[in-house]
Amino acid sequence: MKIRGVVIEDTFAEAFTMRVARIIITGSSMRWVRAAALKLTGFATSVIGCKVEAGIERELPASGTPDGRPGVSVLLMTMSKDDLGKRLIERIGQTVLTCPTTACYDGFPDAADRVGVGSALRFFGDGFQGSKVIGGERFWRIPVMEGEFLVQEKFGMIKGVGGGNFLILGRSAETALEAAERAADSMASHDGVILPFPGGVVRSGSKVGSRRSKTMIASTNDAFCPTLRAVTKTALPDEVNSVLEIVINGTDAASIASAMRVGIDAACREGVVAISAGNYGGKLGPHHFHLRKIMAGDGA
Amino acid sequence: MSDGLTARLKSSLEQRVDCSAVLAAPWAALSADELSKRTVELERHGRVPLGELFEIKGSPAGRIRFTGDLSRADRLAAGLSEGTVTVEGNLGDEAGLGMAAGALVIEGNAGARTGAAAPGFRRGMTGGELIVQGSAGAEAGASMRRGMLAIGGRAGERVGLGMIAGNIVVFGTAGENAGLWSKRGSIAALGGITPPASYAYACTYQPIHLRVMLLRLQTLYGIRVRKRQLAGLYRRYSGDLAELGKGEILEWMAT
Repeated sequence: MKIRGVVIEDTFAEAFTMRVARIIITGSSMRWVRAAALKLTGFATSVIGCKVEAGIERELPASGTPDGRPGVSVLLMTMSKDDLGKRLIERIGQTVLTCPTTACYDGFPDAADRVGVGSALRFFGDGFQGSKVIGGERFWRIPVMEGEFLVQEKFGMIKGVGGGNFLILGRSAETALEAAERAADSMASHDGVILPFPGGVVRSGSKVGSRRSKTMIASTNDAFCPTLRAVTKTALPDEVNSVLEIVINGTDAASIASAMRVGIDAACREGVVAISAGNYGGKLGPHHFHLRKIMAGDGA
Repeated sequence: MSDGLTARLKSSLEQRVDCSAVLAAPWAALSADELSKRTVELERHGRVPLGELFEIKGSPAGRIRFTGDLSRADRLAAGLSEGTVTVEGNLGDEAGLGMAAGALVIEGNAGARTGAAAPGFRRGMTGGELIVQGSAGAEAGASMRRGMLAIGGRAGERVGLGMIAGNIVVFGTAGENAGLWSKRGSIAALGGITPPASYAYACTYQPIHLRVMLLRLQTLYGIRVRKRQLAGLYRRYSGDLAELGKGEILEWMAT
């Protein structure tokens, strides 16, 4: 299969089941909403080193938030339920509670699995906190020097998917980067997905384990490193000199497949040789995103 | 989907009538015939079936709509714990007395002690939403423990008397001694209020939880909330300091 001359390799991305929370942050202006969201989602590229993967899903108009102020929706993902609760409390407590004018709401109100967040953060109020039940949901009002921080007591958790991906094999570093930027831009604000890496792009794709160390769980994906072409079993066509990866996490497989379709299409441009994907032979992750099926409109 | 039941007053009420047993749980799944057999207590003529006073139609769907002048109908939806009850006009005293869940929407005015505690009980409303589109009489929301009482017009004196917790929003003026002896709970006054002397001024700020509450009232019950009220500043008074002092009065700053 080719799209505008770019080969779509006959392979698949292998992804994992993760736990997801959706956090709605509002504030007096987008300046402070973004400030809180950027801190909340900072250092959250991969569970390998950050314990959590997070990103901004999309910006929300004032008419689409619980308190009628501008907001953003953030997805925060971990490998287990227990972990998700801990990370939510740590991160919301350190980055949203601290940020002027913001409030924080649950974005999965219908999720059956719920974890206490406001119920833990309330103790910062040192006994001066108060709660309000509005429409059956409890909110905590934590007094702070600026005024009050409002946070919902419980946040919903659902099963999502982490590790959807595709690789952009470029003739040069410049063409690979341009294609990756276009792909990331095209997937921004796509409902139900986040791109947890810087700018949505990863230059250091990994393989499972290490040749040298038994304790490392991941190391450089040498088969896709152009500088190692002569010394390793390469997966790169001759004319490829740079590879960038787009990693996509989402609330469900369909959202990821839909975002991949948009992103791959945007990446297929002059200077890109092929689109590939990262997998582990299909034995580790239950979700397989076959590139050719996705681009043919058949989904995951 | 069914629109639920309708209860049309057959002729104007010549005496006060106690409706406290009409919507005792479970009522939401009762048919029109079954509900007609529930009794009400006439002030002079004693107990009669509801069906003698109201023509009840429709099929059960957890909703009932009362029509006619019910100014003399007292204690309707007392102890309400399910469903949505709408009253098209005015309603008598003690509506939604000690209600626990569900919604009571009064499209006209309500009498005294709306949503208050039943005689001999320490707690008033313990849940649900009681919406009075018009004005409410004295001691609305007295001893409220949880839930929401919204009054579109003015509230009589002592609204939120002895509140334990919960939320009261008054869009018109609030009468004297609002929130007197409250322990916790919030009274948001959007049309003028004089807090009792046992409340102390804290600050002027924008309470975000009130935005969530006001938007809910606007979206669900069609109560008109002005942008200035939503985004405006409120004076916060803590009280009642003669009690626990964890309650508050939030007074909207109109200018």
